[in-house]
Amino acid sequence: MDWVLMQSPQGELREVEATTEALTPLMVAGWHQVPAPAASPVPVAQKPVAPTEEEK
Amino acid sequence: MANINELMEGWGFGKQTAIGTANAGTAIWRHTNLNTKPWAKVPVNEDDRAEIGKGHEFPTQLFRSHYNMPPFELSKYASSEFLAWAMCFSLGNVTLTGSGPYTYVIVPALGATNATGLELPYFSFVQQIRPGGSAVLDEMLVGCAVKSWKLSIKNSPGRASAMCSVECVTTGQYTAPSGITLPAVSTPHEFNAGMITALTFNGINYLSGGSAKQFVSMDASWENNFRPGFFPGSGSQDGYQIQGRFEWGDRAFAVQFVVRVQAGSTEYATLINLTTGTATFTVTRDANNSFSMLIQKMGFSVAELGNTDGIVTLQITGVQLYDATNGLVTMTIVTPITGICQ
Repeated sequence: MDWVLMQSPQGELREVEATTEALTPLMVAGWHQVPAPAASPVPVAQKPVAPTEEEK
Repeated sequence: MANINELMEGWGFGKQTAIGTANAGTAIWRHTNLNTKPWAKVPVNEDDRAEIGKGHEFPTQLFRSHYNMPPFELSKYASSEFLAWAMCFSLGNVTLTGSGPYTYVIVPALGATNATGLELPYFSFVQQIRPGGSAVLDEMLVGCAVKSWKLSIKNSPGRASAMCSVECVTTGQYTAPSGITLPAVSTPHEFNAGMITALTFNGINYLSGGSAKQFVSMDASWENNFRPGFFPGSGSQDGYQIQGRFEWGDRAFAVQFVVRVQAGSTEYATLINLTTGTATFTVTRDANNSFSMLIQKMGFSVAELGNTDGIVTLQITGVQLYDATNGLVTMTIVTPITGICQ
């Protein structure tokens, strides 16, 4: 699965799964693709991880 | 003199960095074109016939006015390369992924968030006849944009069953001679109607189930309705004013399709009940070449009974509604070519 670095109109960076389903709502909201930095100079949001159960 | 079939055409698959900055030769590809007319340059002159004080009503002097460049059509059999190019340059918001083949996900840009406001990417167009020392024609038009496109699918054999024509506009700026050595003509990966792998409109699947084999044809089109680009400071060429921008106006996305009528056809009920749903059109040549158009919310505005070649048919006019989350339409194209609109 490919991932792509997207930037919101407010400047937030997020690594997103490169699927039509994942990209469409972001692109419609004005996010656009930015080149993946060789060494990330700005913090990049983590990939979403599988939710874990809260400890009771 | 020269025959028109000597005309070679190439244009930028990469985007220009600015409207007045031509593509480098490395970002220009060469393709064939079913439109046999070259792109005409039309300089317009004016005169002083309306001015009084000359003692008569006749003109006495000519003045250079502007370049009135007519739209130009690229008419081609639909291919993954050409559709990727057409959609990228007409819609504007592009995401490119993959390492060969490459996947382009494209949606219409919005003025509020588009980095270039209401302007789409620009490209250069090269046309040549016998380039070199004694060229009949050798020029590069700079600052071209995609005004509109039309995608036609028909139930006929061969490449003509899937056609895409693109109407382009240009500023009037040009370079002659072009200074470009065009590459060999590209061999695009073309589609035909037999390669359609998904065809569901508003909940009706025309590839399988009760409505299978009922689809006859489809015409989809996009129009950017550019505003004229003359403004103070828009520039000049040869003393003639040129356009300095192409801003989209009220864009229009139209879809019409024709289906055969049979017992139990649901198109009328769908129209009357104001039912809406997604529409998916996918054509797949192989793992490296496909085109998918996902209309996020389609309703039907007209269902007109008629006949096509003696078969009773319905011509459906779709209304493409804007979905708050997923927008209007998403194009997904897989093609072996990278760098389109980059």
